[in-house]
Amino acid sequence: MTSISTTVDQATPPVVNVRRQTLSGVIALSLFALIIVALATMAWWAKTGTIRMVLELCCYIVAAQMWNMLAGYAGLVSVGQQAFIGVTGYAVFVLAQTFGVNPFLAIPLALVVPAIVAIPCYLLLHRLDGPYFAIGTWVVAEVFRLVASNLGWVNAGAGMSLGVMRDYSGFERNVAMSILCALMILVAIGGSYWFLRSRYGLALIAMRDNPVAASSQGVNVRRLRFMIYVAAAVGCGFAGAVYFMAQLRINPPSAFDPMWSNVAIFIVMIGGIGTIEGVVIGALIYFVADRFFGEYGASYFVVLGVMTVLVALYARTGIWGMISKYWDAPWFPIRRHLMVEKEDRS
Amino acid sequence: MTEVLSTHGLVARYGDFQALYDVDVEVHEGEAVALIGANGAGKSTFLRAILGLLPVKPEMVHLDGKPIGGTPTDRMVQKGVAIVPEGRRLFTGMSVSDNLRVAIDQTSRLGRKGGWTLKRLYQLFPILEEKAKTPVQSLSGGQQQMVSIGRALLCQPRLLLCDEISLGLAPRVIREIYTALPEIRAHGTSIVVVEQDVGLAKSASDRLYCMLEGRVTLTGRSEEITREQIGEAYFGGGHAVV
Repeated sequence: MTSISTTVDQATPPVVNVRRQTLSGVIALSLFALIIVALATMAWWAKTGTIRMVLELCCYIVAAQMWNMLAGYAGLVSVGQQAFIGVTGYAVFVLAQTFGVNPFLAIPLALVVPAIVAIPCYLLLHRLDGPYFAIGTWVVAEVFRLVASNLGWVNAGAGMSLGVMRDYSGFERNVAMSILCALMILVAIGGSYWFLRSRYGLALIAMRDNPVAASSQGVNVRRLRFMIYVAAAVGCGFAGAVYFMAQLRINPPSAFDPMWSNVAIFIVMIGGIGTIEGVVIGALIYFVADRFFGEYGASYFVVLGVMTVLVALYARTGIWGMISKYWDAPWFPIRRHLMVEKEDRS
Repeated sequence: MTEVLSTHGLVARYGDFQALYDVDVEVHEGEAVALIGANGAGKSTFLRAILGLLPVKPEMVHLDGKPIGGTPTDRMVQKGVAIVPEGRRLFTGMSVSDNLRVAIDQTSRLGRKGGWTLKRLYQLFPILEEKAKTPVQSLSGGQQQMVSIGRALLCQPRLLLCDEISLGLAPRVIREIYTALPEIRAHGTSIVVVEQDVGLAKSASDRLYCMLEGRVTLTGRSEEITREQIGEAYFGGGHAVV
C-alpha cells in the first residue's frame, strides 16, 4: 500500500449539470451589450459635453470595480490606487508628447507601465496586513506624487499638456473617446465578470469569504492576490490614461489625487462590496450626487463620507445587498447550481 | 506500516510566545491518531504548524519521509493533507454545493486524483445532497460540520486533520459524524483528530497523544491507556510512555 490512488478505484465523476445563467442575467447581458454599442457610437449621437460626462462616469466605474476586486474579493484594502492612475496618465503624456507616439496608440502601450510598476510595489506591500497595507498603498502613491513633482522630464510640478491632440479634429477625438469608453467598460466589467465565472471565480469568492479556509482547500491565495493587484493596477491605469487624455492636461496633484480612491471606496461601499451590480449602482449614485450637490463643495463631501460610514456600520452589503435580499435576480449571475443526475445516485 | 506524517522536535511560536516544545508525533498509513489536551495545550497550534500557517523549519515536519515544514497551505493540499478546521470556516456566501465545488475545482486544477466524488460524499452524508442548493448559513451546526468534512475529503487527502469536530454539537450529531471516520479510513486515508472529549478520542483512534503546555506528555495505544494515566498527563505530572 503506497498511496491512496492505488487503493481506491478511480470512480468516474458523477454526471452533473451546472446551471448559472438566469433570466435576469440574460436581460442584463443583452442590456450590457447594447450599452457597449451605445458607448462606442457616442460620437455620432451625443454632444461633446455629454461624451465628456459619460467618459468621467466610465472612469469612476472602472476605478471602483478595480477597488472592488481588490477589497471585495482579494481582501486588499488599498487607498493608493491613484498611484497607477497617475503613472499611466503620465506615461501617455510622455509617450505622445515627448516621444511623438500616436496618442491613441500610446494608451495601450502605457498600460504596460502600471503592470511593471505594480510588481515591486506589491513585493513591498504584501507583507503588510489590513490597515497597515492600506496606509502603505497611500504612502506609495504619495511617493509617486513627490517623484513626479520633482522630475524634470515630466516638467516637475508644473505638469504637462497634450498639445499633439491639436492634430485631430473635435469629431475624431470624440470618436476615439467613445470607443475608449466602450473598451474600458468592456474590459473592467466584462473582464471581471468573465474572471468571476472562470475557474478562478469560485476560488476568488471562497477567498473573499475566508482566506485561510480557501488556502486549506488548495486555493493559492498568495498568487491570486498578486494577480488581482497587478490587474487592478492596469485597470486603474486604463481609467487614468483615458481620463487625462480627455483632460488634455496632467499635473502631480491631479494625477495622484487621493480623491480617486475616496470616490472608488464610496461607490463600492454604497453600491455593495463584492458585487459587480453594486459598482454600477454606486457609480450612478455618485455621478448624480456629484452633478446636483457638487457645488456645495466641502459640505457635500461630508455628506458622502457620513453616508459611507453609515452603510459600513449598518448595511454592510450596500444597496445591492439590500435589493438582492428581497429580489433574487442578479444581473451578473456567478453562482452555480450543481445538480447530480438522479439515476447516478443509486 | 508506512509512515505518512512525522514531526521531529517541532517548535512553533506566536511572536515571542513559544507554543510548542519539541513535539514528536508520527502518523502511519490508514491510522487514526488522536491528539488530546486541555485548552491551550497546543493541539490546534500543532495542526497550524503542519499546515504551514505558522513558520516552522523544513526538517521539523516530514511527509512520506521528506522534509516539508513551512510549505504553504495550498501546497500541502496538493501533497494530500486536508483539514477540517476548528469552527468549520465555511464559505458563508455560498450554497452547500458551491462550498464543495471549491475543493473539486482546486483538486482538478492541481491534478490530484482520488476516490472521493460528490456521489460518495452524498452516500456518506445523505443530508448534504438534500441541502445541496441551500446556503450554508441556514444549515444546522452538524450539517455545517458535514460540509466542512466533505470539503476536506474532496481535496482527496491521504491525511485528514480534524480540529475539534465535536465542538458545540449535540451528542447524537457527534456520534453520526464520528461513525463516518471508519468509512473515511477505509479509503486509505490517515486521520488526526484533535479532541477535548477524551472518551470520544480514545474510541475513535488507534493511538493517542496527550499534550500539556506545548509538550507531549503521554503517548500510546488508545485501548491500552487508562483513564488515570490520561488524567495525570492531561493536568500535569511526569512524562509517561505506555
